[in-house]
Amino acid sequence: MVAIYYVMIVNILYFAIMGLSYRNISTIFRRSKYSSYNTLSGSELVPSVSLLVPAYNEELTIIENVYCLMTLNYPNYEVIVINDGSSDETLSVLISEFKLEKMSNPEIRGTIETNDMRGIYHNPDYPQLFIIDKVNGGKADSLNAGINFSHYPLISSIDADSLLEKDALIRMARMYMENPEEMVAIGGDVRIANGCLIENGAVKKVSLPRKIWPMFQSIEYLKAFLGGRIGWSHINGLVIVSGAFGLFRKDYVIAVGGYRGGYPGEDMNIIIKLHRYMLSHKLPYKVAFCPEAVCWTQAPDSYKIISNQRMRWGRGNLKNMIENRGMLFNPKYKVMGMITMPYNVLFETFNPYFRITGLLALIGYTLLDMTHWRILLTFFLLNFLSGYLLSVGAIILEEIAFRRFKKLSDLWKMLLFSALKFAGYHQLGVIWRVQGHIQYLRKNNSWGAMTRQSWKEESKTA
Amino acid sequence: MFSHLMVAYIFIYVCLGLIGLGVVLLFQMKISHNKEQKRREMYEQKHHDYFMYIQAHIEDKGALRLPPGKLKPLERKVIQDKYMEWIEQFKGEYRTHLIQLCRDAGFVEADLKGLSSFRFGRRLEAAYRLGGMRAEEAVPALLQMLQKGKYTSLSIVIARSIAKSAENAEDVLTMLRSLLSHGKPIHHLAADIMLETGLDASSILMKLLDDSDPALVKVGLVAMWGQAVPEVMPVLGRLVGSEEKDVRAEAVKLYLSSNPALKDETIVQLMSDRDWEVRAAAAKALGPLHAAGSIPLLVKSLQDANWRVRHNSAESLAALGEAGFEALCQAALSGAGIQREAALQRIELVMEKVEEHSAIEQMVAYNKNRLIHDRYFGVKQPIRRVTGVAAVGGDYTA
Amino acid sequence: MPQSVTLQREQKTDVYHNLGERLKETSRELCGIMFLYCSGNPPQLESRVRDFLQHESGLEIEVLKDSSTQTLAILLPGFTLDATHYQALLLKQYLQETMEDADPRITLTVFPGQVDPTPGVLKQMSESTRLSTSSDIHIFTKEEAIQEPGRILIVDNDDTIREFLTIRLKMQGFETLEALDGTSALELIEKWEPDLVLTELNLYGIDGLPFIHQIQQLPVENTPKIVVLTEQRVERTISQCFKNGVDDYVTKPFSPVELDARIHRCFH
Repeated sequence: MVAIYYVMIVNILYFAIMGLSYRNISTIFRRSKYSSYNTLSGSELVPSVSLLVPAYNEELTIIENVYCLMTLNYPNYEVIVINDGSSDETLSVLISEFKLEKMSNPEIRGTIETNDMRGIYHNPDYPQLFIIDKVNGGKADSLNAGINFSHYPLISSIDADSLLEKDALIRMARMYMENPEEMVAIGGDVRIANGCLIENGAVKKVSLPRKIWPMFQSIEYLKAFLGGRIGWSHINGLVIVSGAFGLFRKDYVIAVGGYRGGYPGEDMNIIIKLHRYMLSHKLPYKVAFCPEAVCWTQAPDSYKIISNQRMRWGRGNLKNMIENRGMLFNPKYKVMGMITMPYNVLFETFNPYFRITGLLALIGYTLLDMTHWRILLTFFLLNFLSGYLLSVGAIILEEIAFRRFKKLSDLWKMLLFSALKFAGYHQLGVIWRVQGHIQYLRKNNSWGAMTRQSWKEESKTA
Repeated sequence: MFSHLMVAYIFIYVCLGLIGLGVVLLFQMKISHNKEQKRREMYEQKHHDYFMYIQAHIEDKGALRLPPGKLKPLERKVIQDKYMEWIEQFKGEYRTHLIQLCRDAGFVEADLKGLSSFRFGRRLEAAYRLGGMRAEEAVPALLQMLQKGKYTSLSIVIARSIAKSAENAEDVLTMLRSLLSHGKPIHHLAADIMLETGLDASSILMKLLDDSDPALVKVGLVAMWGQAVPEVMPVLGRLVGSEEKDVRAEAVKLYLSSNPALKDETIVQLMSDRDWEVRAAAAKALGPLHAAGSIPLLVKSLQDANWRVRHNSAESLAALGEAGFEALCQAALSGAGIQREAALQRIELVMEKVEEHSAIEQMVAYNKNRLIHDRYFGVKQPIRRVTGVAAVGGDYTA
Repeated sequence: MPQSVTLQREQKTDVYHNLGERLKETSRELCGIMFLYCSGNPPQLESRVRDFLQHESGLEIEVLKDSSTQTLAILLPGFTLDATHYQALLLKQYLQETMEDADPRITLTVFPGQVDPTPGVLKQMSESTRLSTSSDIHIFTKEEAIQEPGRILIVDNDDTIREFLTIRLKMQGFETLEALDGTSALELIEKWEPDLVLTELNLYGIDGLPFIHQIQQLPVENTPKIVVLTEQRVERTISQCFKNGVDDYVTKPFSPVELDARIHRCFH
């Protein structure tokens, strides 16, 4: 019985968060409809941004991504690609494509500890592009190196397998400019690019992925970003800004010591640290989510890769929660301490255990006394329907404000896959998370396989 | 037991009901939206010739005609959107003609009515479009709307509309005051909004700089970047002595960027200001001013605690001819720590850059520098700095 | 009742002669003229046109027909260029509404105006109506009559801007092509070798300074002049552009007259 109540309470909480998303959606829709980014994107008054792109073995996609990043609709910015000791040709394809030359004695002003830099490459013909070549040290280490070299007061971390929409950065900057003192971090909306037509480093035609793994993730992302983060952002309780696309105040990132290496989940870690820092210094601040700034990412499309990714997330999540357990139920940390962190521990980190024990108990119970099969059925239905309702809710949010998917058939497909998600995919997710936790406890900290497809192939197969 | 199950059942039924509702809503929204999109495209096609006509004759003396026939509401919307797109793109007479068209077609009137609608969505849409059509008669209502509402991203939409439509500077100032009354440091955004005005920006700038509210002064200063407005120079000179830290720094930067003639004591004063932004701005300005007398000052500020000040000082020294370059070399050789670091960096940059150029006078300058360089560091012996550059002291403000 | 003149086949060359004479008679007064051609030669086209225009304008109009090509010449005495254009668009709309699959082509101008009504020019107008590949209403201008165009490539992602610039530059007699993004622009420059590239700085594919550099490094005989028309107002960008050989820089919103002047300066 407890299990049933647990499920209901979890879902009511989810609904509450989604309810907050609904409250905000009309504002979001209106502000993106009635804001003219054209004038802003040419204005001297927009703050300069350093884009940091950590790249590890990205020879297939890196050129396309750099071209995409160099043609953003933004007045003043630089692109810093950090080659994290790739074992493939990432550095040499960059050097030959952009005819880069090694800078003699470049200026590095930051002081965050990082692995050694082997050199910085530049070509005056592409004044806004820099490549840092360094000894392998992980994503966090690369970002720190980028911060050390960057010239501007705002930094934005972007995954090398992601494409930004042309307006994405200026939309974020608009949000930043509306409250420059308090905004410490802004996250963008991440969407799955598999299946979309990509041309010239930009998504030309949006459609849903053909393969099932990306399709499930597509719905998962929609649910997490639109259904969840808009609501969390409203009460300033965001616990993560996606590593794929986020904008940060550099001074505060440095104040909290930069990114933490060694473990995955550096994107969640930096946000928790920022919350912690701002709250303990009693500074007013905001960590916001900007759903109209869109970043398209390549989702893993095979079982092995996706399971690796999810285990990594599980590991990182657990590590972050353990590291910051001091914030739990600590009134000093306000929303963060009283709501977000407990929520994350109880309903995200330990969710699998509750569910599994609940399920096992119910099954055992039913086996003992077959007359209780109805309770078991109720439990399943409860899980399925509330989850499905959340998916439908997220799709409606999408339809109200963004309408990225134009075709009626896309709608059918999304509804269908939202249902199918509960026959297998959902359960796998639970198992992966547990596996991640086991890895953590066994101190297995490998990155796991992560392969990329070139964008060109992607649009051909799509 | 049963009561527990009942709760669960109710939960399930509620979920089912909501799902059903949601799916129906979803399809209804998608279908109606797609339909509207199709009709829009059809109307755009229908009026293609009319749009061509407008674009071809927009500068002719005669009044432009309205689209032929009786128009459906969506059709009017399509046409109004097109007009507004052009208004945003063109300046001067072209814009005036198009605004007149919007009036003739009754679009302005319709949206003025919309401003008093009960629905917030309709009011906001009207506000946005009235700005797009530069309807000055809407300004009082818009101002009221802005002052009444809370500060959100939608206030910015209204504020932009006011800036676009306002016919007198006072309205723009009122708008800015209302925006800034929420205490948020949104000076850059406010300046950007202000610059959308169709009025003479420099007269508004003068008013802003003379305002008693430091927030408005800041907006004025921020807005002046990239604008050459000679008549504000005296005001700037006054603001350089301002009490407000930000105001002073901005004013000094702007003042110095226009290469004014500076008195020696002013230079000394600025170079020892307690605000690093002021020192950095002063150091930067001394190079292009060819103020050779300030070399000792610049050498001294190579030791400044702030990176930007050191950087600018070295840059200015390099720009001050042989004497400056010699001082730089000396500092690199005899100085220590951060001073040496800053000097060396600049020397290398100079030596590198000049090698690329071939013009004769530059060759001469280069050779002179080369001589000085060799005198200090020996012939053909490239300077190597200690690697592991990092230990320069943290400063990430820029 | 306006007179109508329908000439026989053997007199075909004289249609334009007559028309020229007629226009010379009224040379003091303004007179709009449009040529109308409908493929497939729909029945009663002439009378439909006559009825409609009379009903619409209530003015004295004249309709002449070149029976060899079935092209109609319609004289609108007292009409200015924009008024003629407006009548043309009404007429086109009417024809499209009342006749199924009518595909009217219209070329128009006004006398006295940019061109003199010589039979040659009139013939040229009529021919260009009949052979026109676009269904858009076309305005015949002096530059077209002289045929001494410069080639301009318009590069912008914004449809509104491209459309406007194309109409405007075509009316001034330039030959124009459009490109939506940096990559296709570079291909077109190499193939088509325009005299001038009028470009936004913010493009897909490749943009900004790298784009300018690429243009200058293309293996074409004469590197095109470059005029930038952009939202980008950052001073540093502007000065970098000039340093890198951009011929002129105009920011949006722009004044079309000023843009014309700057483009013309590039050609002289």
